[in-house]
Amino acid sequence: MTHQHNQTRFFGVSIGAFGLIAAAVLALSACGSDKPKAPPATSASPATAPPTERVVGPLSPADAQALATMTARLGEYVDLHTKIERSMPKLPKEATPAQIDKNQRALEKLVREARATAKPGDIFTPEARPVIERLLASVFGGPDGKQLRISIMDESQAPPSAAKLVVNSRYPDTVPLTTVPPQVLQTLPKLTEDLEYRFIGDSLILLDVHAHVVADFIEHAIPK
Amino acid sequence: MGVIMRMRNWSLIALLLLLIWTAGGRWDSGITGATVAQAFQAPAESPLTLPNQDGSFKFAVLGDFGTGAQRQYQLADQMAAVQKRFKYELVVTVGDNLYGSQRPQDFQSKFEIPYKALLDAGVKFYASLGNHDAREQRYYKQFNMDGKLYYTFKPKSNVRFFALDSTYPEPEQIKWLDKELAASNDDWKIVFFHHPLYSSGDRHGSDLRLREAVEPLFVKYNVSVVLSGHDHFYERIKPQMGIAYFVVGSGGQLRVGNIDRSSGLTAKGFDTDLAFMAAEIVGDQMYFDAISRLGKTVDSGVITRRNIKP
Repeated sequence: MTHQHNQTRFFGVSIGAFGLIAAAVLALSACGSDKPKAPPATSASPATAPPTERVVGPLSPADAQALATMTARLGEYVDLHTKIERSMPKLPKEATPAQIDKNQRALEKLVREARATAKPGDIFTPEARPVIERLLASVFGGPDGKQLRISIMDESQAPPSAAKLVVNSRYPDTVPLTTVPPQVLQTLPKLTEDLEYRFIGDSLILLDVHAHVVADFIEHAIPK
Repeated sequence: MGVIMRMRNWSLIALLLLLIWTAGGRWDSGITGATVAQAFQAPAESPLTLPNQDGSFKFAVLGDFGTGAQRQYQLADQMAAVQKRFKYELVVTVGDNLYGSQRPQDFQSKFEIPYKALLDAGVKFYASLGNHDAREQRYYKQFNMDGKLYYTFKPKSNVRFFALDSTYPEPEQIKWLDKELAASNDDWKIVFFHHPLYSSGDRHGSDLRLREAVEPLFVKYNVSVVLSGHDHFYERIKPQMGIAYFVVGSGGQLRVGNIDRSSGLTAKGFDTDLAFMAAEIVGDQMYFDAISRLGKTVDSGVITRRNIKP
């Protein structure tokens, strides 16, 4: 409980300092657009972000600009995904596993066809990739880093070698969906509900949730 | 001296065998529960401390279960055995409903087959999603999520449950929770989700950021009970701000000895075997039993609902 009180005081003191940032993030999320927005440049540490907000930082204006290239690509991907999904029969709210699987594979096929020439770096752009790696390094290099790494690796029941990563392929059925700790989610750019971050081994995966397709990945994203 | 040494050796061997037996996991791997469960002999009826009154609301709690391994099936058998005597009508799941692959056959081997007896008895499962769950599970009819990642339902006139998606506690969800809790005038408000606000888990422990986001709402709106998983054991937390917290991440996965007893949070912990929780609401009281895979009642108690006037 002492820890919690300290943290509360900390947030109480810092709320003024981060108020503007929080307001900016809230304003962005209130826009109601499905397309992720380019994150604003901020010097705030993720550790001090409001608990329900994802904040990308600390970022220089150059880093923010680099990440903006990724969020633009994310937006394009989500637009494509949404367009394809809308063309398909809607999954009932009380579906059988077979219906879920059929729907997923049908969407997977269409997404793969629509992105037939997709390659690594299409979404995690060359500009954004070093920023992502640096952000992850800050998380895994922090006081909880070792524990976070153990948590991710421990619950990955298949050896990393079991999956050869290929962009625009189905997420391997033999590889469990691993933990993505809140600290990581808080640090990386926010995604829409169609996408999520996962890890396979030490690689960061951008997973199309509905299609179960690897949209992009960064190898060796978790620092040793 | 030699006799003492031999005794020590035998003690060590016995202890080692006991640890291997309780851990059990290594023997499970690769074996489907359907075949092995037949060989498992659940013990005779274990004593329940629950009132088991006619007309009361009865439910169970299960978390971190969908492994498809032998032990999951054995606990499922135990749940079915208890349900025959204690007619709970629903099970809330606190996430990690399916581990590993989540193909149609996995829904069968990790959910539909082990809990067939319960499903056949008309017991409904209401799921929340954990960090290992595919979001598409929300469409699975047996999980009764109505296609939503977070939702609320009212199984009894004075009881309301709130299921959260604790992996992504986005502002929209917190806003939704605020609104739903404020609108509920039910005597019992019970919230369930995956990541625990309080846990003595050496592996994961308390999720402080989530706590900061939702605990003020729980306190403000008279939430009485919070159910979570994620850490693979059973733990009843000492009441926090008047709220009863349970970690029930012991439905299939198990992390033996993972409760950090020095956390100061534990009212009762059980981390040597799988367990689920059975509960009964009678008026202002909620009675609960935590029951192990072998049918032992490893914890029990009664909670009085919160009733703080604004």
